[in-house]
Amino acid sequence: MHPAMAQIRFEEIAKKAGLDFRLKNSASGRFHQVELMPGGVAALDFDNDGCMDLFFTNGATIPELRKSGPEFWNRLYRNNCDGTFTDVTARAGVGGEGYSMAVATADFDNDGLCDIFVAGVNRNILYRNLGGGRFADVTAKAGLSGIDPERGKMWSISAGWLDYDNDGWLDLFVSNYVRWDPATEPACGTPQSRFYCHPKEYPGLPNQLFHNNRDGTFTDVSESSGIARHIGKGMGVAFADFDGDGFTDVFVANDSVRHFLFRNQGDGTFREIGLEAGVALREDGAAIAGMGVDFRDFDNDGRPDLVVSGMINDGFLLFRNLGKRSLFEDFAQRSGLEMSTRPFTGWSLGMYDFDNDGWRDLFFALSHFPALERYIGRSAALANRVFRNIGGRRFEDVSAGAGADFQLPALHHGTAFADFDNDGRIDAVVTTLDGPVKLFHNITTGAGHWLAVRLRGTRSNRQGLGAVVSVTLPDGRALYGHATTSVGYASSSEPLVRFGLGPNTGVKQVEVRWPGGRTQKLTDVKGDRILEIGEAKP
Amino acid sequence: MKRAVLLAVLLAVLPARQTAAQAPPSAGYAAYERANRLFAAGKYQESFNAVDEALRLDPKLAPALTLKAKLAMAANRYDVARESLERAIAADPSSWYAQFLYGFQFYRQNELPAAIQALEKARQLNPRDARAALYLGLAQESLGQTADALETYREAIHLGEVSGQLDVEMLLSCSRLLLRLGDFEECRQQIDRALKLAPNSRDPHFESARLLLKTGDAAASAKQAEIALTLRTGDVTDRQVHFLLVQAYQSGGREQEAERHAAAIRAIDERERK
Repeated sequence: MHPAMAQIRFEEIAKKAGLDFRLKNSASGRFHQVELMPGGVAALDFDNDGCMDLFFTNGATIPELRKSGPEFWNRLYRNNCDGTFTDVTARAGVGGEGYSMAVATADFDNDGLCDIFVAGVNRNILYRNLGGGRFADVTAKAGLSGIDPERGKMWSISAGWLDYDNDGWLDLFVSNYVRWDPATEPACGTPQSRFYCHPKEYPGLPNQLFHNNRDGTFTDVSESSGIARHIGKGMGVAFADFDGDGFTDVFVANDSVRHFLFRNQGDGTFREIGLEAGVALREDGAAIAGMGVDFRDFDNDGRPDLVVSGMINDGFLLFRNLGKRSLFEDFAQRSGLEMSTRPFTGWSLGMYDFDNDGWRDLFFALSHFPALERYIGRSAALANRVFRNIGGRRFEDVSAGAGADFQLPALHHGTAFADFDNDGRIDAVVTTLDGPVKLFHNITTGAGHWLAVRLRGTRSNRQGLGAVVSVTLPDGRALYGHATTSVGYASSSEPLVRFGLGPNTGVKQVEVRWPGGRTQKLTDVKGDRILEIGEAKP
Repeated sequence: MKRAVLLAVLLAVLPARQTAAQAPPSAGYAAYERANRLFAAGKYQESFNAVDEALRLDPKLAPALTLKAKLAMAANRYDVARESLERAIAADPSSWYAQFLYGFQFYRQNELPAAIQALEKARQLNPRDARAALYLGLAQESLGQTADALETYREAIHLGEVSGQLDVEMLLSCSRLLLRLGDFEECRQQIDRALKLAPNSRDPHFESARLLLKTGDAAASAKQAEIALTLRTGDVTDRQVHFLLVQAYQSGGREQEAERHAAAIRAIDERERK
């Protein structure tokens, strides 16, 4: 496919769209570690009207960690399908409690309604979607409060839904960061010049995996699955079947310690192989301050690759899946991403085809830590960056041409990706620390044709998360994707599997490999639409 | 930067009677010289006592203030070091060494714009000093000033050659940036020079192994990395070498070897956690 010449462009329309959410982190000059980290956001269609809605997590008072008023509520906005959103938090009953960090959305009980899991410092919450715009807090019944018998409530920073045992029910993975207590917050820097402590000042934590018992309850299988054997400082989490064995694997970006790649062994256990796979550390053996992650195929070879954001001077990581011996190669230098991203600190991110030319591009939400100004001589606020994928070989920073709104710096953190106006071009919602949300409406002109696949599992989980979809273009080339909502940092994106088709108005074939390996094919499919595929009964 | 590198910088021989010291020695100079000898011998507490005595006799003795700053940096008291260096520079604005250390401590504290400003001033005062150029290059690179950094590294190497100050860190800072930039040819040249200069340091062997892996020679990369692992001097950690070996052996299809080195990293992590 010839790369299109379309310039990726966005306009920022949050205010116009009625999105008045402000993320409040309660920073008060005391340099509490938690205030650096919030900002998870989700794109979900909670009312099944075909328009993606939004859920925002929010902070709380420090040190009490309480949502003392509406300014700290998590917020749910319904997409009115006309370019505007309405705040429906109060009616939905999802304002929440505690200092929230992350959100993971999926239909965990296969009732056709998308549910919401909120992960936080002192509270995790599972909201079951009751329909009619209402939710119920079912955390206690579900057994998902996240309280560890030994460690108590761990600081959860990201979460995601996956069906690790292919039983047709979504399980929950929770990434935990560090042991933290406001009462014993260490003081770092000099007395005259305090600063946020390095993560090395805090002990790490294990992650958690909860198995769905198919009755509204979950069993903590963190120990028996092998997940809890590995102590890290978990940040973003992403899922993909990277070795094509039919079982979903897990990648966890860790902050300043090596990353984890949990290979699903298909028997309810995982083996951590980040080192052997070459994705645990940067190529020179340095651990970066890993934050956001996406686990998708950037070079259209059918194998999910990894992109991980980090801190200034880390250089963001790009690992190319070689498809043999579970091995990845460091591709950041060769693709141009390493040098291009070294000046930045990246939080959430996403690998999406913003110009629909058939190659997935990269979007990074950027900002340095607040108070870093004196160390780097410039503002901590940064403009986001978008890198265009040039034929799966290199990434080119095209941010300068992405529109005036895109150049505005802020303390960007979380991202949710979805096509909010159903025009076929993927949009991005970005939260900002102690600031207003931004909705980057994709207005790329000359973008290619597209196809979005919405899966409807019957034997598999209802949303088909974990299913691998490939499309064959008229010239015989194939594009690959898989259904996941776990993208970036602390955030959740639409579950649709999207393909940019370039100049092609349709595809010769769509093939779905459902979790468990059953395949289903459709031929001669027209593009520029959302194609709903229901899982065929065996 | 590791502590070994910090000490190497701090222990670098201070030219006798620099700049303002051209004037007749002050009352505290003898105490200062004793303190300097003790510092070089690693007797930091005794050195600290002697430098205190020197400053009691002459509170504006710039070399003593500079030495006090070095002692403070060795003890991780950068606030004390900064204050001492500010006094040293006020007492003797022409002291390039005090100015260099002033920039160096900003670099160590990641205050990069301030580091660049001070190191540029140090270079004005002594354009022949290779170390000021090296740390200026490192600060520039950390701020994303890639082209400037590369030029400054090359100048540091040149100055090092001319003055006899050339060290592995100058060559390898340059080679690392060249590797990132994809200039493998010049990268190879700098690494080869570093290998000749310090064949018993693990750092050039490690960088050589990285380059070999990047250019597709996994077997030669593993060989170099195995050599690096046997060497104890250098800044590169065992973890870094083991990870390079994991990558090199995996690329070469020697999975068992790769797993052995992955296990070594896990053992290191476990030890550190405990």
